[in-house]
Amino acid sequence: MASEFNINDLQLKYLELETLLDITNELNSFDQISVLLQEILVKSCGVLNASSGLILIEDDNSDVLHIGADFNIDISVLKGLIFNKRKGIISEINESRKARNIEIEDDSFLSKTQCKFGLIAPFLDKKNLVGVIILFDKESRLGLSPFHDADANMLSAIATQASVAYNNIKLIENIKEAKTFNDNVMQSIVTGVFTTNLMGEINHINRAAIAIINLDKENVLGNHYEYVFESNEYITQLITKCELESVTISESQILLECNGKSTTVNISVSPLMNDSNEPIGSVVAMEDLSNLDKLKSTFKKYVSKQIVDQLLENDEMLNLGGQEQEATILFSDIRGFTSMSETMAPNEVVETLNDYFNLMIEIIFKYNGTLDKIIGDALMVIYGAPNSTEQDTENAVLTAIEMQEKLIQFNQDRIINLKQPIKIGIGINRGKVISGNIGSKQQMNFTVIGDSVNLASRLCSVAAADEIIVSGAVWKKVKYLKSFKSKKLTPVKVKGKVKPIEIKEIQYNRPEFQYELAYEKIEQFLLLNLPQQYTYHTIDHVRDVVIQSERIAKKEKIDKSIIQDIKLAAWLHDVGYIWEPQRHEARGAEYATAILNEMKFPKSKISLITGMIMATKIPQSPKNHYEQIICDADLDYLGRDDYDTNSNNLLQEIELVKKLTPKEWLQIQEKFLKAHSYFTTTTQKLRNQNKNIVLNKIQQQLKNK
Amino acid sequence: MSDFITSIKENNSIVIIETNGYLNNVGGEAVSAVVYEKMAQGQTKFLINMAATKIVNSIGVSILIEIIEKLQEVNGKIGYYNLAPIVAKTFNIMGLTKYSTVYETEEAAVNDL
Repeated sequence: MASEFNINDLQLKYLELETLLDITNELNSFDQISVLLQEILVKSCGVLNASSGLILIEDDNSDVLHIGADFNIDISVLKGLIFNKRKGIISEINESRKARNIEIEDDSFLSKTQCKFGLIAPFLDKKNLVGVIILFDKESRLGLSPFHDADANMLSAIATQASVAYNNIKLIENIKEAKTFNDNVMQSIVTGVFTTNLMGEINHINRAAIAIINLDKENVLGNHYEYVFESNEYITQLITKCELESVTISESQILLECNGKSTTVNISVSPLMNDSNEPIGSVVAMEDLSNLDKLKSTFKKYVSKQIVDQLLENDEMLNLGGQEQEATILFSDIRGFTSMSETMAPNEVVETLNDYFNLMIEIIFKYNGTLDKIIGDALMVIYGAPNSTEQDTENAVLTAIEMQEKLIQFNQDRIINLKQPIKIGIGINRGKVISGNIGSKQQMNFTVIGDSVNLASRLCSVAAADEIIVSGAVWKKVKYLKSFKSKKLTPVKVKGKVKPIEIKEIQYNRPEFQYELAYEKIEQFLLLNLPQQYTYHTIDHVRDVVIQSERIAKKEKIDKSIIQDIKLAAWLHDVGYIWEPQRHEARGAEYATAILNEMKFPKSKISLITGMIMATKIPQSPKNHYEQIICDADLDYLGRDDYDTNSNNLLQEIELVKKLTPKEWLQIQEKFLKAHSYFTTTTQKLRNQNKNIVLNKIQQQLKNK
Repeated sequence: MSDFITSIKENNSIVIIETNGYLNNVGGEAVSAVVYEKMAQGQTKFLINMAATKIVNSIGVSILIEIIEKLQEVNGKIGYYNLAPIVAKTFNIMGLTKYSTVYETEEAAVNDL
């Protein structure tokens, strides 16, 4: 019976083989080194009857091994010990690369385990030692014993298998780590990057590229680049060229249209090669220029393009700090804006200021000024800081002159629209200033400070509406330029200065009333404001009257200077329809008086214009030759071939108020035509015959009714 | 009670021993000590819950065989349940399953023993 129960060597060998087979089969199923090592150790202890065991495994990039797995052993006794590949038993196994029995007491570190016998085998990566497996104290029913040579062979076989599995996992971990590293790098870089495979399908893409392409990652990955960039033929051509010719292509400022989003990018397409230098796809890098554009655009609200470019090229200019230098400072201020704004709605105040500032700042940048501040309705502009040129002061004066001149045109528009004109005074000074980026690191502003700045502000206060006042220092810089003229003014005493300051008023061309500009502005005003429901009193009718007025006036040998007044009256003769159709002539005359006064139109001629407007009232009552001309022009169509069109338009407009029968309309026309006479010889000759034909036709129609 | 034995209970006159850790010389001796003590008290049926024993060596197995020999002398029985696959395989290779039974559950074991 007893022999029946004996565990024979054959069974043990069978168990060893099965265990080795299990280890071999299972090793490739592990994907974590710690799990693999623990499993190997436990099974090794079991199959070789070891009472306990340890696996020491390499630390990356050093000769030190750490405990990778332990079984049935108190590892606290080993805590803090350094297992060096080059010392003790591990050093010996590092050299021999063979499993062997060891006397634990011989090793100062392992002896702390209180174990007696050991069996050690190396884990190798090619020929390098990456770790060791140590089993302690072989068990038997008679007690603990040394391991046998056969045990060493078995452990060596297990360790060899384990080494392969360990190196595989390590390799996979390294690949994963490299992939994660690459992914992180890819995802963190602000340049959009994607790769395509040999099929042209996009197989990797980073976050920045997704943002540029403006599609979900799912809609990009796996799709052909021609599908993803179907609206961007140029991009697909670049990638195709790179694929076919294996060349790197770079293009700048390409407009990318993706999914409704436009982005300007710099793009680079390079072939992707494998280790054998065979193409495996392409890598595309796209630099989104939107942020740079936004930065430039924001910056350009404050400084000229030239200075933006200088600052972007040389960021040292952005350092906090300051320097003393010469600069020219321009201040401008709207005269009476506070009282003006009191009569305006808040949105109108903002709209007015924005329109005004847009116009002014465009001029400032044209002359390379740096807009330092907008203080309410005032502007402070610097010339010569951060970078100075010989033209700084000249540019400042040119800016001031153009600001005043452009404002005249700007005001024409406002006047036509019955808005108060904007008047500004400008002061310019030149002198030493402290310039720099002043503020905190969170918010800094480039500005200039100093006495010279204060004086420029004082000069602006001295300047009356439409005036440009400059200091002696400014005039000294520009007086040699023939284009500038000045008027010497009495030196003024300004706050903060003991002595009166020598000042000059810069003269500029203040144009007289500009007829063409006025025509243009009135036409725009009519176009926007004439009631849409009118079919006769339209902008086309006004334009016709203007054309006929000029034609008749020329034929009537009217002086050119008066012809432009007649045209002005023609443009204005129906403007009153905007407000009061019933008394539109009177309302138009009032409007004309108001705007012409503001537009510096000679006062003596305003009555000429209003007289012409009033003369068009039916029945027409011209009191002079000019009024006759505009009256004839207003009804010129009565003797023209397009009479029917005009009369139909008039009927439609009348019927907005009162419905007429065809007969009633014919009767009205007959009555009107019979009562009407042209006043000028020119029109009588040209239109009377045809007008009579029209009348006869209407009378014939009436007879048939 | 050694660390290897985590609990001893009785169910239907069957002593159920719960183990934890390596069933080696030490573990085996711990089990045999409990079994022999209970045998001295008249118990003859034993069941080992090996849920927390993931590895066994041949010495542990040989101690279990010694226990089986002793139990056979008094018509006793021993069984096991909750075996890890490697433990079950080892029991099988070492011939242990010829003289004792591996059960799926405690209930099945109690009903059979």
